[in-house]
Amino acid sequence: MRVVLRVLAGPAGALVLAFVLAAVAMLIAGVNPVDGFGALFAGSLGGRRPIAETLVQTTALLFPALGVSLAFRAGLFNIGAEGQLLMGGLLAGAVGAHFAGPGWLVIPVLLLLGMVGGGIWGGIAGWLRARFNASEIISTLMLNFIALSLAGYLVAGPLKSPLASGAETAPLLPNGWLPAFPSIGSLSFGDTRLTISILIAIATAIVLSFVFTRTVFGYELRAAGEAPEAARRSGINMPRMTLIALALSGAVAGLGGAAIVTGVLHRFNTALSPGYGYTAIAVALVGDLNPLWVCIAAFGFGILEAGGLAMQANAGVPKDAIHVIEGLIVLVLAARRYFATRASGAPV
Amino acid sequence: MLTLLFLTLIKSVPIVYAALGGVISERAGVVNIGLEGMMTAGAFSAVVFTNLTGSPIIGLLAGVFFGAVLGFVLGFAATFFKVDQIVAGVGINLVALGGAAYGLVLIFNQPGASPQVTQLAPEQLLPQITTGETVMIVLGLLCAFGLNWFIYRTPWGLRIQACGENPRAVTDAGLNPLRLRLYSVIASGALAGLGGAFLSICEVNLYSDGMTAGRGFIALAAVIFGRWTPWGATGAAVFFGFFEALQYVLQGRISWLPSDAMQALPYLAALFAIAGLVGRVRAPAADGVPY
Repeated sequence: MRVVLRVLAGPAGALVLAFVLAAVAMLIAGVNPVDGFGALFAGSLGGRRPIAETLVQTTALLFPALGVSLAFRAGLFNIGAEGQLLMGGLLAGAVGAHFAGPGWLVIPVLLLLGMVGGGIWGGIAGWLRARFNASEIISTLMLNFIALSLAGYLVAGPLKSPLASGAETAPLLPNGWLPAFPSIGSLSFGDTRLTISILIAIATAIVLSFVFTRTVFGYELRAAGEAPEAARRSGINMPRMTLIALALSGAVAGLGGAAIVTGVLHRFNTALSPGYGYTAIAVALVGDLNPLWVCIAAFGFGILEAGGLAMQANAGVPKDAIHVIEGLIVLVLAARRYFATRASGAPV
Repeated sequence: MLTLLFLTLIKSVPIVYAALGGVISERAGVVNIGLEGMMTAGAFSAVVFTNLTGSPIIGLLAGVFFGAVLGFVLGFAATFFKVDQIVAGVGINLVALGGAAYGLVLIFNQPGASPQVTQLAPEQLLPQITTGETVMIVLGLLCAFGLNWFIYRTPWGLRIQACGENPRAVTDAGLNPLRLRLYSVIASGALAGLGGAFLSICEVNLYSDGMTAGRGFIALAAVIFGRWTPWGATGAAVFFGFFEALQYVLQGRISWLPSDAMQALPYLAALFAIAGLVGRVRAPAADGVPY
């Protein structure tokens, strides 16, 4: 019984639930779920190009989801990954448009700038929380809107490319483009949008997993989240931890913004994210805030994001149904702590 | 100047309703992050039902109802299921925003924005304010007055306050704090839904994706800035409404400050407001703590 509860409460339960809910959403739209799922999977896993696109979406979700996981682990509700992603992309795009040099120099610098941009944005919320005890829930969300205004102003004005018709920065020089994903045997990805950014994302997850489980800093971060009073009494500097955790969380999300700029768009505009920063919260929760599980969760949501468009075009199910499903999964997983406590036999 | 005053009133209304909703919910001990989603539900359902029945009054009531439904979902989850209130609230927001976008395609067969519907009493009363808006402004003040009276002057209000301070004491007094919390969050959702309905069928006459634009979170900031009191939150909501109005009034007047940058004004105001209260606020003791 306990095992059943634990599995139901975990990512497996969320996955089953996602399928059931998706089927319901298809039925509401008057579509046979078999056709709906057919279109969804054909558009996300049915061939080389769909798979590449699924992995592009996976990468876009994975960075902010890892950032969100880091903050949540420290007991901080960073719901501002969207703004941090945008600021990371903005800084990388603004500098990248004018940065000529060899690729081995340009690309790492631009990715680092992404981390700086996102880190500053997360750090502002961290500083406000540490210094003024201002709720990071409200501040990170306000910063999302402020980031959007700021980026919108900059790409329409000072940073606008004189050659582009829309509001965007000048394109990156090709040296700043992330290399395409390496060929696997005869399978080449040169003509898709898939780049090595997915490898960077997975490497980031591995590093974070190591930090959480094998370093003193990771231990302190988790202690701050799980037992703040005990952490404080054992000498952990809580304001400092708050600042660092939110800045790092923003940096990881910002790295994702830079990865989209250098890997996919090759320039910055505010259409960089169709809400990856918000979906990332669902991804992080489904992945149980564990970086390696989050990778798998991101792949699952990548399938939904990539397949959603195909489902809309070929089966007539509005792709926004995907976002309803994501929200319901979050709602159900909010009950997770309750079930987990029950499963371990502790009193509720 | 007069324009700024009228616009401030109009822009404040939805934030006032949502902030009052935030006050009653947090006073009972439930942090309502889902205010944004409840406003979205209110705004969207108001348009759907106005379109269906031709009556914006019914649309308004539908907005209240569907806000309350989401309030019930959050309230039930936060009380009897003891789920994390913040996570559940985030989930509510995603469901509402996605659901409205999904509904736009299903019901109106057009993504992005709904067709235009009958506006709530659009006859002009004053140069800038329509009759419908006047009614909603007055109703908002009545709600603030009523909530203030309810929380501080009635036995049920005092019990709800006790739920937010010390739910154990409520149990010891022979009452069920979980049920009181649930009712409070439902009321919270109804108020937020009303605020959302104002946005869609009173201020304008359609629903468009993302039209609540973080007002639910600004309302949360107003709750804190107003120190968890109905009048305080109302004042704070008007303060944020002023910055939203200012942005419209200043547009095109100050050449060096472009409109994109000015859109950040209300959010910056909220950010400064919650940061500027260091050490001077105290939330209800059991706010956000499942019981």
